Amino acid sequence: MRHDALRGAAALLLWGALAPVAAADTPPALAQLEQAVAAAPDSPRPSSDYRMAVIKAGEYDRAIAFFERLVAAHPKSANAWLNYGYAYVDKIPAAGAISRVILANHSLEKFTKSIELQRAWLALYTRGNSYLYWPPIFGKGALAVADLEEALALVKREPKRRPVHARVYVALGDAYWRTEQPEKARAVWREGTALFPNTPQLQARLARDGEELSTYIYDQLDSNERVDTSLAPLWAEP
Amino acid sequence: MGRALTTAGRRSAVALLAVALAGAAPAPPPIRFEEIGEAAGARLPHHLRQFAGPHADVLEIFTAGGSAVAVADYDGDGDEDLFVTDSDAGRPNRLLRNEWVPSGALRFTEVAAAGGVAGGNDRLSIVADALWFEADGDGRPDLLVARFGTPLLYRNLGGGRFADVTAGSGLETEFGNTIAAIAFDADGDGRLDVLFGHYFKPVNLIELPTPQVLPNNLDEAVNGGGVSLWRNSTEPGTGRPRFVEVSEKAGLAAHTGWTLDVGHADLDDDGDQDLYLAGDYGTDRLYWNRGDGTFEDATKEAIGFDTKKGMNVDVGDYDRDGRLDIYVTNITDDYMRECNMLWHNEGRGSDGRVRFTDVAKETGTCNSLWGWAAKFADFDNDGWEDLFATDGLRSAGPEEYIPLVLELILRPNVDFTDVRLWPAIGDRSWSGFQKKKLFRNLGGGTFKEVAAEAGVDNDRDGRGLGVTDLDDDGLLDFYQTNAGQPALLYRNTSTSPGRWLGLKLAGTGPNPDAIGARVTVRAGSTIWVREVNGGNGYAGQSTTRVHVGLGAVEKVDSVEVRWPGGRVERFAAPLGRYTTVREGEGSAPR
Repeated sequence: MRHDALRGAAALLLWGALAPVAAADTPPALAQLEQAVAAAPDSPRPSSDYRMAVIKAGEYDRAIAFFERLVAAHPKSANAWLNYGYAYVDKIPAAGAISRVILANHSLEKFTKSIELQRAWLALYTRGNSYLYWPPIFGKGALAVADLEEALALVKREPKRRPVHARVYVALGDAYWRTEQPEKARAVWREGTALFPNTPQLQARLARDGEELSTYIYDQLDSNERVDTSLAPLWAEP
Repeated sequence: MGRALTTAGRRSAVALLAVALAGAAPAPPPIRFEEIGEAAGARLPHHLRQFAGPHADVLEIFTAGGSAVAVADYDGDGDEDLFVTDSDAGRPNRLLRNEWVPSGALRFTEVAAAGGVAGGNDRLSIVADALWFEADGDGRPDLLVARFGTPLLYRNLGGGRFADVTAGSGLETEFGNTIAAIAFDADGDGRLDVLFGHYFKPVNLIELPTPQVLPNNLDEAVNGGGVSLWRNSTEPGTGRPRFVEVSEKAGLAAHTGWTLDVGHADLDDDGDQDLYLAGDYGTDRLYWNRGDGTFEDATKEAIGFDTKKGMNVDVGDYDRDGRLDIYVTNITDDYMRECNMLWHNEGRGSDGRVRFTDVAKETGTCNSLWGWAAKFADFDNDGWEDLFATDGLRSAGPEEYIPLVLELILRPNVDFTDVRLWPAIGDRSWSGFQKKKLFRNLGGGTFKEVAAEAGVDNDRDGRGLGVTDLDDDGLLDFYQTNAGQPALLYRNTSTSPGRWLGLKLAGTGPNPDAIGARVTVRAGSTIWVREVNGGNGYAGQSTTRVHVGLGAVEKVDSVEVRWPGGRVERFAAPLGRYTTVREGEGSAPR
């Protein structure tokens, strides 16, 4: 009951804050969104909306500092840790090549904390997908496969199938491909396509092979491009 | 930003259309090169400076850039010669005299010691770059050798002999870790001034006063050597070159980046020479010349602040819109995807300011791996300037160094400046064995990478490039220097090139090579623009002769020269050969 009340208060704070953000990316608007997140640290929606506003405002360091304070206040909140990690990911396209490595490593640490608190498919998918951005020379391919296989097992137990789950099939296939398991990659993409037939990312992979497919995947995993870390698909209706 | 995106989007559409059209058109005849270094007596080895002490190999790799070539007809015999640097202690630099004239054989004779220009790699100095330029205005190109140390200035006495005139020139006071040098007339007084690009801050790397000499940040470093500008104050006829440092007055002293290359051109077409500085570990800089030798930092509005690893500056008009564009190499590899920058000159906006848009991705010139020198040149004379790009840092054993670097990078609160913290590299490779890239300009804003079919996809650890026509056949050849490896000489053997014209500009006064002159060639609605530069491009000075590929054009309508002093003249220039055009002997433009 108390939890629901908090969520309601957070929603009010959130909707009050979104309008000013849309009008002008002002710090007061972000401050209101931060209040909403702080009021409901376990709720993905305020955290996600806050980060989207931060991206728009380019206030990446502010968000990182905010989530640092949030996890200090709520060290058992898996959602807070997850979004703390996303805050680092959100900054990556705005950073130089070397700084990106440092940011990516920080994000992995936060995702790991989230997973330690709760082995949720979203956190496992997120960390597994993050590993894919690391060049093969750093040997994170097997880690990606492990996380994404577990994420897929959890997704299959979800009570409701959502389009966002297709991302796990895409990423696990990519992980297999990157670890030189092409048959498993194709199998998981085909499995995903059977469940989510209108997923262009799956179709694009199945339409390619060999060097062309490697190049395509390489291009998809480009840290120059912003990774979509919005959690809105979690509550979007199919 | 919105405007830039719109422009880029439009360009992408044009590029796609061009690709589609190219698909329908017959394939252009191939560009071909033959590597003749050994046969021509030009396959010179380069040796990296060997350091002593526990951090020797870290310092070695941070200084592994000084393999350079500089092109000029130093002996005035009509063909172009090569000065090639070495870097290890006691190793001589080499002066390769081209025997093409009068023998007709493309062979070189090494004459550095006889000429008195072999020195420079002493115990406390490392040769890193070289530049031919007219220091004293006597019509014979003099030689500047840039070092991690103080530079050396050799006065060309004629007859293949040189005199070391560093002492008393003013340059002897310029201690710096200099990796680049260009000569251009910064202040419009007719004399060629010198801009040095410095990598490290000015500490002696061989007798390290402190271990904290490396970049303080690997994306936004501000503890490098910056640049220094030296005004040429030589009195004509004295034979005694004199230079005075004017960096502060010129507005360049505040820059403290890790400069790897510097380039000049009239980027805003206002008649004076502007500057582009390529910075490793951080922001490149663009400066407008105010016309009096002082410069305005226009980086923010003209190109924006990047965080890449700028390695090279070359200037050309790749899309023939009459405006000069800039090509900068960065680092692109499996572990770091910076992409090069091809800065398209957008011309003056409604506010009267010139801006650039990076079109490397759209044009297909993004990836030249761990980039070093890259040069515009129309290698097939089809009328479009191509790009050849060197690459490769360190080719050694099968193990890679980069995982060790990663460990360092991820260490909390690590002090990157401290050489003691960088892991030993041993026999590891670091972005090694990389294939060179030849981006063939297909016109319409697209390039195609053709290095393998052209025979230039060597995997040496490339550094500098000197592009010139060594045998006067109208096809541009090039000399590629490599770090710790022998250099390569590529003779252009393309069999179906287009037409061309060549010019040797002869200016009056103390700038006889007409550095900074702009040549505009017109045929119907087609326009080709070239500028004579004083050493643009990393570790390599190309010819000061102007070469213009014309494709199928049988006749040009005009050849116009805007001389450095501003005089504009027209000249007749027959196709298919080099023509010397002298300032004051042309006709007035119509």
